[in-house]
Amino acid sequence: MRLDGKGLPVVAVSTLTAAGLSGPGLARRVLEDGIPSPRELAAPAPSRPEDIRQRKLMSRAAWFSALVMRGALAEARWDEGRDEIGAFFGVGASGAEMDEVARLVAASMVEGQFSLARCGREGLDACNPLFAFQIMNNFTLCHGAILEGLAGPNAAFFSRGAGTLTALEEACAAITSGACERALVGGADTALHPVTMAELEREGFLRQGLMPAEGAAALAITSEAEAPLGYVEAVRFFPVDRPRGALVPRTGVLRDAAVPAALDALEDQPCDVVVLAPWGAPAREALVDLPEMLEAELSVDASLSLGESLAATPALAWVLALDLLVHLDKHRALVLSAGPDGDLGAVVLTKGGA
Amino acid sequence: MGARRAVITGVGAVSAFGVGYDALANGLAAGKSAVGPIRSFDARTFPTRVAGEVPLDKTGASFLEKHRGMLLHVGEATAWEDAGLLRDRKVCFGLVAAAEAWRHARCGGAERKASLSIGLGLEQAFLEDLAEQLDGDEIRIGAGDLAGPEGVRFRSRVDLTAEKIRAVIGLSGRVAVHVSACAAGGMAVAHAASWIERGAADVVLCGAADSMVNPLGIGGMSRLGAPSPRAEPSACRPFDRRRDGLVVGEGAAMFVVEEESRARARGAEIFAVIAGHATTQDAYRATAPRPDGSRALAAMERAVRRANLRPADVGYVNAHGTGTQLNDIAEAKAIRALFGDVPTSSIKGAVGHLMAAAGAIELAACLLAFTRDLLPGTAHFEEPDPECPIHVIGPRPLAKRVDYVLSNSFGFGGQNVSVLLGRPR
Repeated sequence: MRLDGKGLPVVAVSTLTAAGLSGPGLARRVLEDGIPSPRELAAPAPSRPEDIRQRKLMSRAAWFSALVMRGALAEARWDEGRDEIGAFFGVGASGAEMDEVARLVAASMVEGQFSLARCGREGLDACNPLFAFQIMNNFTLCHGAILEGLAGPNAAFFSRGAGTLTALEEACAAITSGACERALVGGADTALHPVTMAELEREGFLRQGLMPAEGAAALAITSEAEAPLGYVEAVRFFPVDRPRGALVPRTGVLRDAAVPAALDALEDQPCDVVVLAPWGAPAREALVDLPEMLEAELSVDASLSLGESLAATPALAWVLALDLLVHLDKHRALVLSAGPDGDLGAVVLTKGGA
Repeated sequence: MGARRAVITGVGAVSAFGVGYDALANGLAAGKSAVGPIRSFDARTFPTRVAGEVPLDKTGASFLEKHRGMLLHVGEATAWEDAGLLRDRKVCFGLVAAAEAWRHARCGGAERKASLSIGLGLEQAFLEDLAEQLDGDEIRIGAGDLAGPEGVRFRSRVDLTAEKIRAVIGLSGRVAVHVSACAAGGMAVAHAASWIERGAADVVLCGAADSMVNPLGIGGMSRLGAPSPRAEPSACRPFDRRRDGLVVGEGAAMFVVEEESRARARGAEIFAVIAGHATTQDAYRATAPRPDGSRALAAMERAVRRANLRPADVGYVNAHGTGTQLNDIAEAKAIRALFGDVPTSSIKGAVGHLMAAAGAIELAACLLAFTRDLLPGTAHFEEPDPECPIHVIGPRPLAKRVDYVLSNSFGFGGQNVSVLLGRPR
């Protein structure tokens, strides 16, 4: 999708990384201060800690998402008319707390073996009845929407890369079609959940050096604004062939696809900044030469700088790119992402201001 | 040049009535219900013991090979089974429904650039795998040696069904996986229509697949108190005064959706036009729909407006109609406010609540309005509820010719979608 004119204004951003919760300022931290190594982030304390329902109600990703949604709304000063604000997020896998799962399983064992009969009789009762809400990954979108009263058009996309880009494209489509005038878009996820870590290990990503992290990012985009942080100029997808049964495209194929994809997204016009968001070493290897080929003045690898927070990474990379444009007074940035849900994603952003 | 319109040219389904769209259509046309005791696992000690279960004990390679049409390579399905990829029932259901839709639309090489928009339910968690890692009161899973052996372990991946459909049909377009709980199927179809309308795709394979008929799925829903406590085939009675909860279902429905002029040019049969669609959020509570139904009403209103129609043009509403107290009252208020006395039904009493696939299977049911001039009935509806003051079609389908039908899907978390289908001209 290529947006008309300058594109759609981004009026506020909010991120949650190992460096904490912040609005603009991610670029300075990446370039100057450094971001702490990926670590488990502190989920917010419930307002009534004694109420177990509050503690158990939502997954960590749902809390992360709610935090950045709140941050972006505050930064954008979108206090009115929230019923018509859209919300589109890339979300990850279910994030059930393992202690709840362990309680259920432990209460279902008979002589060292899992017993279905006992699970029905006692196992289910051993875990919190609201445990199901932790499992539902659409709450990574809905928890924040409920807390903040966002009742406009919406969608949650499972993302191993491209889903978060789809969220951005659908937010832009909702605005350009008139379904809403304002929308929050982003992603939130954790790669540190034990079952996700096991999957990343079995799929080979950890062996290849993937740095698991958790995080979230939200961008507030709108149909018009006088002095926005920046503009979304284009959101483009480039499906990449892969061998049948392969988890990811071959590195060479991805590399060959990346250059024309970047040029196409940029419409053969230059960009000052390239931010890469590759998921795993093969994708990184495929994209690593691209900034030089595009003669970009600056390039940053968001997954290396911030760690890999899966569904959140593309959104963090967009915020980082916007922030780099402001921080370094540059004009145009390309964010290129590639994850195992296939397909190269390209987002072109330009600097805002008066 | 006229506006681009999305039309449905192929459909496939797997439901409690059996494998294939005809099984669903014939079951609904006969006014039957396919809800019954759970057979795929021993649920005797579980609080919920009935489901709208696809009539087979085990999904696996033999099931896929029996329902061909997806160009499986020799030994491929067996390799998937060996790797644990088919343990999650929705993978097989999605593949079979997708292959049927593709075949039904007579798609070939020219359609392989199609995109995929699919609603998928949660990962299936495998409690027996997790139990193997239990060490005292802790489950020891993670990186390194704690990852377990090769294959699908602990849980299936959310997008596994999408990955397999893309590979087996040989699609080269983009993929979107909607995870909007019970609204996911409707949202996936609406998204496909949106892609077509704005020129982002010419052909989209879309729909949804889900199965929560497994110990944690059934158990988790039971802990929430959503299913009916009655272990009877009539457990789900949408809009009935005596209703007391939903019945979990499973299955898939997939559609080939394409741009109308393209479909006509290749001589494809058109089963329906996707005339309108809209989404809203309740933004109310995690555990309950907005009681006044106002955001559900907004979704319906916007879908009608997007289709450039008036509410009076809609001749049938396929309700979300879960059979729960709260949903049915709120939805009935919204339907009454916008459409008055329009004939309305819910098929959840007949096939159960297919969760992420609910919206897709219900859109498949809506096609009966155009292919057979039949509006599906509401199984087990006997006693009207004064708090649901709408025209509920009883257990038998209603023979009536209508030009437009609207289908609602509302998800846990407050996500609402309405999709409006029109009779092809």
